[in-house]
Amino acid sequence: MKVEKDKGILKYILILLSFTFLAVFLLLPLFYIVVTALRDGITGYVQAVTDAYAVKAALLTIRATFWAVAVNTVVGVAAAWCVTKFAFKGKKLLSTFIDLPVTVSPIIAGLIYVLTFGRQGDLYQYLDAWGIQIIFAVPGIVLATIFVTFPFISRELIPVLTAQGTDEEEAAALMGAGTFTIFRKVTLPHIKWALLYGVVLCTARAMGEFGAVSVLSGHLRGKTNTLPLYIELLYQGYDFTGAFAASSILVIMAVIVLILRLVLEQKGKKDQERNR
Amino acid sequence: MKQKSIIPGFGLSFGITITALSLVVLIPLCSLVVFTSRLSWSEFWYTVTRPRILSGYYVSISTAFTASLVNAGMGLVLAWVLVRYDFPGKRFLDGIIELPFALPTAVAGISLTHMTTTNGWVGRIFYDLFGIRIAYTRLGITIALIFIGIPFVVRSVQPVLEKIDIQYEEAAFILGADRGATFRKVIFPEILPSLISGFTLAFARSIGEYGSVVFIAGNTPYETEIAPLLIMSELQEFDYAAATSIALVMLGIAFVILSVNAFIQSVVSRRVSGLA
Amino acid sequence: MSQSGADTAAYVELKGINKHFKDYHASKDVNITIPRGKLVALLGPSGSGKTTILRMIAGLENPDSGEIWIDGRKVNNIPGSERGIGFVFQSYALFRYMTVYDNIAFGLRIKKRPEEEIKNRVKELLSLISCEGLEKRYPSQLSGGQRQRVAFARALAPNPQLLLLDEPFAAIDAKVRLELRTWLKEMITRLRITSIFVTHDQDEAIEVADEIIVTNQGRVEQAGTPRELYMHPATSFVAKFIGNSIEVKNFEQFRFFEKSGKDTVAIVRPEHVRVFKKGESVQYSRSVEEAVVEDIIFRGSSLEIRVRLHGNLISSSRSITDPMIEIGETVDVFIYTLFLVDGDSITLVRNQSLKEESVFI
Repeated sequence: MKVEKDKGILKYILILLSFTFLAVFLLLPLFYIVVTALRDGITGYVQAVTDAYAVKAALLTIRATFWAVAVNTVVGVAAAWCVTKFAFKGKKLLSTFIDLPVTVSPIIAGLIYVLTFGRQGDLYQYLDAWGIQIIFAVPGIVLATIFVTFPFISRELIPVLTAQGTDEEEAAALMGAGTFTIFRKVTLPHIKWALLYGVVLCTARAMGEFGAVSVLSGHLRGKTNTLPLYIELLYQGYDFTGAFAASSILVIMAVIVLILRLVLEQKGKKDQERNR
Repeated sequence: MKQKSIIPGFGLSFGITITALSLVVLIPLCSLVVFTSRLSWSEFWYTVTRPRILSGYYVSISTAFTASLVNAGMGLVLAWVLVRYDFPGKRFLDGIIELPFALPTAVAGISLTHMTTTNGWVGRIFYDLFGIRIAYTRLGITIALIFIGIPFVVRSVQPVLEKIDIQYEEAAFILGADRGATFRKVIFPEILPSLISGFTLAFARSIGEYGSVVFIAGNTPYETEIAPLLIMSELQEFDYAAATSIALVMLGIAFVILSVNAFIQSVVSRRVSGLA
Repeated sequence: MSQSGADTAAYVELKGINKHFKDYHASKDVNITIPRGKLVALLGPSGSGKTTILRMIAGLENPDSGEIWIDGRKVNNIPGSERGIGFVFQSYALFRYMTVYDNIAFGLRIKKRPEEEIKNRVKELLSLISCEGLEKRYPSQLSGGQRQRVAFARALAPNPQLLLLDEPFAAIDAKVRLELRTWLKEMITRLRITSIFVTHDQDEAIEVADEIIVTNQGRVEQAGTPRELYMHPATSFVAKFIGNSIEVKNFEQFRFFEKSGKDTVAIVRPEHVRVFKKGESVQYSRSVEEAVVEDIIFRGSSLEIRVRLHGNLISSSRSITDPMIEIGETVDVFIYTLFLVDGDSITLVRNQSLKEESVFI
């Protein structure tokens, strides 16, 4: 722990300021969701949560999230491995492209898929001939979700892999180990906590993605509504209890993510310290 | 492309990365460029200079800028408190900061909105006491963007602050600098680059933000209509040309912001590393 | 195993190797021959390209041009894992998430050896490095010296024909380092495995190696036994780098030395100089020069005496059992020999007053 230099009143003012700020801006909205969700009593809450449309929306959300996380895990690990273990030309450019989706507005993310796969795009006639529908359908939702969470996992892994260096992999390779052996036995133990955290974060963001999915879903009630879209529908239909009840599912998930983050980060730090 | 390395798996990891990157990010982004090339310059110019669109940019940029300034200040305080002080609830504080990453934006959006209408818990107080409306005004948008942006600044400054050796401060202290001067002259210059970087990230993200803002904005033309919403409404009218034009300008703005940041960072790192 | 060739003694050969890292020319036309069974040091200051040479032999880097031969086989296009080498990394690169046992067994498991054989081999190696009982530990639970030994055992486990060590002692405290040097030399001599190690420490190279290859700015300056390098440096760099050398320009002012070439400089080593208390020297009383002691440094077993002679600060070693000398004292100095450096030609010149006598250093 750091030596505490400020013994004076400033310390307490700053701590108080921090707590107040976070309480007002972060905790209050969270608390508000829970209270509003429960304002019609437990039965009202249960009814809202088990509504057939709500369940359908939740299932679609889980499906889209599963695929997005699965794809991004494989790609994230490959990208992090590629960027940290090898020297090649264009590496900086590659990293920039990988991080690009974070800075693109979710609406624009949705838009580019509409332009690529929509009726006015060049691909549409081929896709249509094959009977493949991408936008205003589930594949579009999955694609948009992959786009929005694209760099989440590699961004967690790259700092850990950079700190670890390439010595161990070189040693293993010199003894004749192949790609997967090296990854499984040598690299994976270093990054397992960071990888898990990346997956958790990616899951959270994927479940909650709104803007991009909103552009691509076409809002077919029950068919292509994810949970966040369903919440929007309820809210705009002035069914506040329903909207907040459905939200509370996502709030619980967010809280779990935050707790997992603290736990995983702690584990990762401990491992790093122990194996220094 | 690459220098031969003893570690295997370059082709595989690079292949996976570049394939996914092309399919998910690059090709769709290209279709934006392809589509734009079909527009005539006058058409494009007419679209993006319509007063309603211009006011959309103005609303987005001004609220994002204000929110990011607030976040820069509060983010610095939070990072400082988390790194330098020990107090009960510190881990809780540290964990909760990531909430905006974990909580779906739409959920945050409806909660903030419902709470700050003139009938809501918070909104009523402000309206009755001061006559201030929060929801459906630019103030509301700014508050939603503060919610979204705070982790960017904290997570950017925190690691840098952790790395500053307490010896610098002790050295400054022994040389007779008081605490204020030590902060201004020794610590602040060290963390300024990370603060700017956090600010620009939050700023770029806020300009494109949709989910948390769309509910609280109220979407009154010329007043609280944000740029991403304008893209959305053009899309709903199937005016892809207009949507693309607006999106292109937004991407341009984000690009300029990030380039300015990249330039500042490179100037600073050059100064620190002593290379001319 | 051994190939029939003109030179069967050469185990590793580098021919005309060049290597660039972007604009940096790390190896400049490197030619090296390393005989079978020898323990060879690659010695040079940091940035001299010695590690690059080692990594190219291991296949961790590829030369831009030139050939690498190991055991009569051109290995440029053979991956490092098939070159029959063991490599000990500077920071050991032990697998941090594996036990000592799993670390040593790794190479054998990759080769799919039967578990029974692996068990025996690991046991044998553990006893060789005197680390019995540590097999369940993780690298982080070992001392620096133990890590070094485990890294050594891991490299040896698959029975390599050639052992490569990158700065093997750099990460260990001074005290253990000396012990480990002797241990490593013994171990390698016992196993009769051709070994190459990289070091920037000349004492280490001189003490441990059968042969030393001196590198500087990407070039090989000289190769030879420690004694050869010491007695007959081939280049001015080697003359200055080996030993505690001091460069002297105005050496013609020294008694009994003459200036020969035009741009000649002389190199004086402490071993070539003796300092006597006034009147102490009997044998060379006619040939000594007077000088004033500027500094005395206690070196544990000896004293380093620094005297000012014709403007040059010259060092000499003196036993602590000899009569005491103090700073500021006027003493007699006798220089036995000098290396004269003229461009790149080096000549050993004796003090002319010794012409008829034989000199030993």
